[in-house]
Amino acid sequence: MAAALGRAEARRAWVFVGPSLAGLAIFTLFPTAMALGISLFDWPVFGERTFRGLGNYAELLNDPIFRRVILNTCLFVVLYVPLNVVISLGLAVWLGPHIMGRQAFRVLFFIPVMTPMVANAMVWRLLFQPGGLLDTSSQSLFGVHAPNFLGSTAWAMPAIVAMSVWQGFGYNFLVFSAALDQVPHSQLESAQIDGASTFARFRYITLPMITPSIFFATTMTLITSFQVFAQPFILTQGGPGVATQTLVMYIYDQGWQFLNMGLASAAGWVLFVIIMGITAIQFLGQKKWVHYDA
Amino acid sequence: MTLSIRRMLVSTLTAVSLTAVAACGGGSEPAASDKADLTWQFWVSGTEDQTAWQKVADHAHTDHPGITVKLQGTSWDSYWSKIGTLLASGKAPCIIGMQSLRLTSYGNAMLPLDDLMAKYGVKAEDFDKPILDGLKSDGKQVAIPYDSGPMVVFYNRTLFKQAGLADPKPGWTMDEFRAAAKKLTTNNRYGIVVTPGDLGVTSFVLSATGAEPIKDGKLALTEPGFVQGFQQFTDLVRTDKVAPQVPAENTEFQSTQFTSGKAAMMIDGPWSVLSTKSQSKFDLGIAPIPAGPGGSKTFTAGSGFGISRSCKTPDAAFQAIASMTADQPLKELATAGRAYPSRPKVHDAWYQAADIQGARETLDFASANSIPLVTTKNWVKASDLLNRFGVQALNGEQTAEQVLKTVQDQAG
Repeated sequence: MAAALGRAEARRAWVFVGPSLAGLAIFTLFPTAMALGISLFDWPVFGERTFRGLGNYAELLNDPIFRRVILNTCLFVVLYVPLNVVISLGLAVWLGPHIMGRQAFRVLFFIPVMTPMVANAMVWRLLFQPGGLLDTSSQSLFGVHAPNFLGSTAWAMPAIVAMSVWQGFGYNFLVFSAALDQVPHSQLESAQIDGASTFARFRYITLPMITPSIFFATTMTLITSFQVFAQPFILTQGGPGVATQTLVMYIYDQGWQFLNMGLASAAGWVLFVIIMGITAIQFLGQKKWVHYDA
Repeated sequence: MTLSIRRMLVSTLTAVSLTAVAACGGGSEPAASDKADLTWQFWVSGTEDQTAWQKVADHAHTDHPGITVKLQGTSWDSYWSKIGTLLASGKAPCIIGMQSLRLTSYGNAMLPLDDLMAKYGVKAEDFDKPILDGLKSDGKQVAIPYDSGPMVVFYNRTLFKQAGLADPKPGWTMDEFRAAAKKLTTNNRYGIVVTPGDLGVTSFVLSATGAEPIKDGKLALTEPGFVQGFQQFTDLVRTDKVAPQVPAENTEFQSTQFTSGKAAMMIDGPWSVLSTKSQSKFDLGIAPIPAGPGGSKTFTAGSGFGISRSCKTPDAAFQAIASMTADQPLKELATAGRAYPSRPKVHDAWYQAADIQGARETLDFASANSIPLVTTKNWVKASDLLNRFGVQALNGEQTAEQVLKTVQDQAG
């Protein structure tokens, strides 16, 4: 009887899980495997395909541009993720539960997340470019040209990071705001009565309690920032030179501009492995600092 | 044995039935090949553009009632990735838009049109020769052009007049050009705006030193002549400081600097004359690329319509293309300012619409001194790299020579 019931339940479970599994298989597993297959071939969009084993991977490793692209992507992640987390957490704490009009601020900070990236980037391009708003104001205020933000190898990446932080911090800001609201007021109050300073209350009560949110936010932000594409694509097209070309842009260029699917797939797998590796490290590391027992 | 007999029989029967169909078509009834619903992939920049180009497509239906052509418009940026995938999957629509510079990359997936041209009486001599040559792949015509044009210098006539400069005439020299640019450069304005786009760079270099970017079907960017010409081009920004520094992404930068009056000259093709004119508040002039030691020279580029190899009704598709590139639609495109026509016969309509003093003199001169930029298979990559690394050369982070070496090595 129990076994029969179990079987019936299992059947039902499959019915419910089935569509999702099918979707996962068709739209995720199959393309991923397919990309792995393609990455072993010289696979032009037109013409003969020839097997070349790990040749594409070897070509990537020997390509100075690809090495630069990996470096650019890491540089973006290293600059962007901490800035994003610190700013969004800082603002969420600053707009703590007691401030007037916090809902209005929340909406305000979330607006850049909702507006299309392309529109945002276009506006920032007009600010940044020679003769743009920053340049003309610098000229009228100080009588000198502003740096050529989008045309200089040194400035292009910081400019992209600045735009990305402005565009992206609102999401984590909401996550942190929600987490901060969950911190029990009674605990903070009793700590205050015991004489704990504002900083101590934040450091020893609030911060540990929101670690699951911080973990979630950093993991997601890391994954998405490794996949950064739209900002450099619109602001600089990866230039000047390849100073701001990122991994996903490289994949896009190889695949859709230069019609070289094999190399694009190999680069895609490199990105996949990097993201998997870093996410795995984060999950292993979380035991040390994330507290789920609120 | 039996198999080959059967095959012979089948093919004979097919031939007979085809002849029969063709014979029927000889009368007032349209032939089987004249009946088709065709799709046309093309780059358009908005709904207004889409409507205008659909009108071009409708000429096919007017000429051949059995044929309809439906336009599928895509923005320029996503067009090339889309058409690449469609051609690769063998599911491309019959008619596809093709630009001369990119043709070599896609030529394999397109149908040679020479036989169809002969069959339907489309004559090569009715078109501008440089652009017809530019739309050939391996010596075969793969697209019929609707527009063409030699690269020229656009200039702000109002600013020229204010600076006391005479209108540049065909034959003006590089020295005259540099002197004008210098005179036009003031505190808040530059004499010219340049970006490392392939057509602008190569046309300037061709005139300055006579060097071409491609020699015997291979990139020749590191040849001394090309390096020297490119050096002169970058010097406009680096040392002469008669042109502004450029941002990395610069497709609109050039035109906005020019139309807003922040720069007095730019290098562009006749296809943008009318849109530039409508966006600018000053009197627009055009002049040939200034002459180097070997005289004024320039490259011609343009676009046309071709047929994908996967098209099942190539005859109908060709008749549609013939209608779309005939005098009447080209005249309409010219009047609406969408294209400088590929048929010299229709140029009058464009000149009337453009209404620019000296335009005919300039374009006739530039056309006569132009050659098509026939590219290599890796040109899209070379052009992309030139644009990216060229920014570093213009802004002075790298020398012209270093940049060209990088492009040559990478695209190689």
